[in-house]
Amino acid sequence: MSAAPLLSIENLTGGYGEIVIVTDMSLAVAAGEALCVTGRNGVGKSTLVRLVTGALKPASGKVIFEGEDLTFAPAHGRARQGMGYAPQEGVVFDTLSVAENLTLHHSDRSLERYRELFAMFPRLPDRLGQRAGTLSGGEKKILSFCRALAEDTRLVILDEPTEGVQPENIALMAEAINSAKAVGRGFLIVEQNLSLVEAVADHAALMDHGECIYTHSGTVNLRAELSRRLKI
Amino acid sequence: MDLVVTYGLNFAYSTATLGLIVLGLAVVFGLLGVMNMAHGEFVMLGAYSALTVQQAGLPFLLAIPLALIVCGALGWLMEWSVIRHLYRRPFDTFLATWGIAILMRKGVEVTFGREYQSVDQSLPGTVSLLGIDYPAYRLVLMAVIVVMFAALFVWYQRSNTGARIKAMVQNPDLAAAVGINTARLSRATFVTGVAIAGLAGVLLAPLVRVEPYMGLDYLLSSFFILVVGGLGTIEGLITGSSIIGGADVIISAIFDKTAGYLGVLAISILFLWLRPDGIFSRR
Repeated sequence: MSAAPLLSIENLTGGYGEIVIVTDMSLAVAAGEALCVTGRNGVGKSTLVRLVTGALKPASGKVIFEGEDLTFAPAHGRARQGMGYAPQEGVVFDTLSVAENLTLHHSDRSLERYRELFAMFPRLPDRLGQRAGTLSGGEKKILSFCRALAEDTRLVILDEPTEGVQPENIALMAEAINSAKAVGRGFLIVEQNLSLVEAVADHAALMDHGECIYTHSGTVNLRAELSRRLKI
Repeated sequence: MDLVVTYGLNFAYSTATLGLIVLGLAVVFGLLGVMNMAHGEFVMLGAYSALTVQQAGLPFLLAIPLALIVCGALGWLMEWSVIRHLYRRPFDTFLATWGIAILMRKGVEVTFGREYQSVDQSLPGTVSLLGIDYPAYRLVLMAVIVVMFAALFVWYQRSNTGARIKAMVQNPDLAAAVGINTARLSRATFVTGVAIAGLAGVLLAPLVRVEPYMGLDYLLSSFFILVVGGLGTIEGLITGSSIIGGADVIISAIFDKTAGYLGVLAISILFLWLRPDGIFSRR
């Protein structure tokens, strides 16, 4: 890895109570780079993300962010320290408006920080007053993606950001991610859409049965190697 | 005509005071899902704050900060020591707060005695309104309650904190993920709810008998209102208060107080049976 790690996941093991889902995972994300974690459904990708973001407490291992051990830090503390997150499910606050979803965590409630993203996804500013719960699944994902990306965080964690999103918008998502990488932001992306992985990944990890079974650096042969191992 | 005005004002008074009583429980139960069986005891503590201020020879209005401090501090301690471990476990909160309610009643009984006591009216006399003489304190109380509800409604709908509370109630994991300290916000919401109950106790103290068991009636009325109106909306709270308060006033006027209680109970049972989410519901 070319740059110093922004996020280090060291021998992370955990799951739901006594049930261990993720076993001994070690990964790193550098500033300005994207690590994509992929794998079939139910292999523990989202559990890994929930362990990293603090929604679940790990049984063992460490989560180091910018040199600080955040393994047992509360979820809201990680967000404030610079870890943005767009989850796979429950991606928006359904009863709040689109504008409230985008601004409730900012004291100035300004939408100015979304100017560039609004230009990319123009349906979003058209629906600011609408309840987020009435958006389509893809639109909710875009709203969640924009919220996570517009926060001034050094690391952005995206869990299946393209689920239900139209292909042309997936290409725009990749463009936005690459622009953010260019200014030094790191990405941990759990994704099954290999088009997005190919478009943004600097490194990739393949999970199976809660373990990392393959890692790949660079984009050469990335799609072919992942496809072969995923048996697509 | 005078009779209609009197009943109309009584209905408005009953609705307003019930709304005030239930408001704290609507916050704690409607937003946090905590079945606070000690809600009536916080109303009782507010009433005893008014009594304490009166016994000390101090102005009545000083009872408001006293009740807010006492109920707020006790609510903070209760949330920190018990409630925060029981969020999303309604039956456990039911049992735990029932125990706390018994402790609070017995504590007040030991401190102030079991006997009925009364708080003097700071605004005695009547005001002539629409051709009838109506107690001045009741009119002022109704105005205060209307202003309180309007302010709370605007704050909840428009403020960032209101949006954060709604976000936390709906999706606590996502709220934490965007940086909202849900533990602190839950505690602040709980403390606000019980402090509002204390404030209700102060404002109602001059109109009711003050005794350690007075909270039980308020607890029952509050749950009836939430059953009818539904959880989580101010519209539901006002509608529930109007229906319960109105039914009580009308049935009690036609028959007697016992029939009024029975009527309210029957309405609540019907709602639980036919419309368990109430008239307005967040769901």
